[in-house]
Amino acid sequence: MNQFAEWLSQTYLSTLIQTHNGWVIPTIQSIHIVGIGIVLASVFMVDLRILGWAGMDQSLRQTTNRFGPWLTGSLLALLATGVLMVIGEPVRELVTVSFWLKMVLLAVGILVAAAFQISLRKHEEKWEKEAGRSGSLKFLAIATFLIWVAIIILGRLIAYDHVWGSWSPATKA
Amino acid sequence: MDIPAILASLESTAIATRIRDGLYLFPMLEAIHVFGLAMVFGTIAIIDLRLLGAASTNRSFKRMASDILKWTWVAFAITVVTGVLMFITNAAVYYNNTVFRAKMVMLALAGLNMFIFELTAGRSKHSWDKSPSAPVIGKATAVLSIAFWISIIFLGRWIGFTTTRATPVVAPADINFDDLFGGADSATPAAPPDKK
Repeated sequence: MNQFAEWLSQTYLSTLIQTHNGWVIPTIQSIHIVGIGIVLASVFMVDLRILGWAGMDQSLRQTTNRFGPWLTGSLLALLATGVLMVIGEPVRELVTVSFWLKMVLLAVGILVAAAFQISLRKHEEKWEKEAGRSGSLKFLAIATFLIWVAIIILGRLIAYDHVWGSWSPATKA
Repeated sequence: MDIPAILASLESTAIATRIRDGLYLFPMLEAIHVFGLAMVFGTIAIIDLRLLGAASTNRSFKRMASDILKWTWVAFAITVVTGVLMFITNAAVYYNNTVFRAKMVMLALAGLNMFIFELTAGRSKHSWDKSPSAPVIGKATAVLSIAFWISIIFLGRWIGFTTTRATPVVAPADINFDDLFGGADSATPAAPPDKK
């Protein structure tokens, strides 16, 4: 991974970002945070509906139709800005515990969201009946939200990988 | 009031010292700050898009506002607390930082904008509650709101690139579980960590 990061940092796009480091990196990071806001709020609204705490004038299906496209759209924007950040500062991103832990949780978060969509399509009536009532669904909604919160926190900690002490490959480099 | 003296006394408080010297407190405050502001921006954007008639047009505005805005305020409180705690660790530097000042101005403008909404379109909300969008003044405040909050996010990120932390801490060779949150004088001499 170290070698890959070194190689990536020599590529044309990477050096281009590095030479305009003063404003390119902060700009990409800021756009990334705007996207995070949209993702988090979208997940939050669907979770609140499952908890029965908000949007009860709408069906669960209407709620996911409202926020689902914003979630996928922003995730794509986050992927694009995220890839640019990795290309711009490969070593800082890839040689960290936080980044890889974040990627694992991100995969879990996306899988849960996809599984939810499929299940809602298959068992729509059951979901509509249980949402806001079932205790296990409430637990699932809170757990899902916490996964996304953890993703955000780990994202910020990429800049501070020394918090992982000897676990961080950055401290061994 | 002597501002430099106030800033200096903020920096010398026990809690500011603890955050500065701890390995984990400042990064965690920053991470929680990002979580809070993401919630603030995302939930406000939902309301603004409703005012503009761009999304959720079939829903009662009052219903949405009462469902969502209480969470916005909780999240805002989280960002204020974490923001203040970060500020006091290096108060003079932030106070004199142009980007920080610009961010505070934008925050004030966002608050003023909200106040204007409440005094205008907000007052007549019963009359357009079920319409797909708010009156023109409501739409104008919605556009301004999105613009202010996005600029606050950008300026906030820029603060980190135009300041340096007061007392940089170093990675210890091993995680010290007895001193996770600083305080104890476990001073390991150190190279400054990358603070981007």
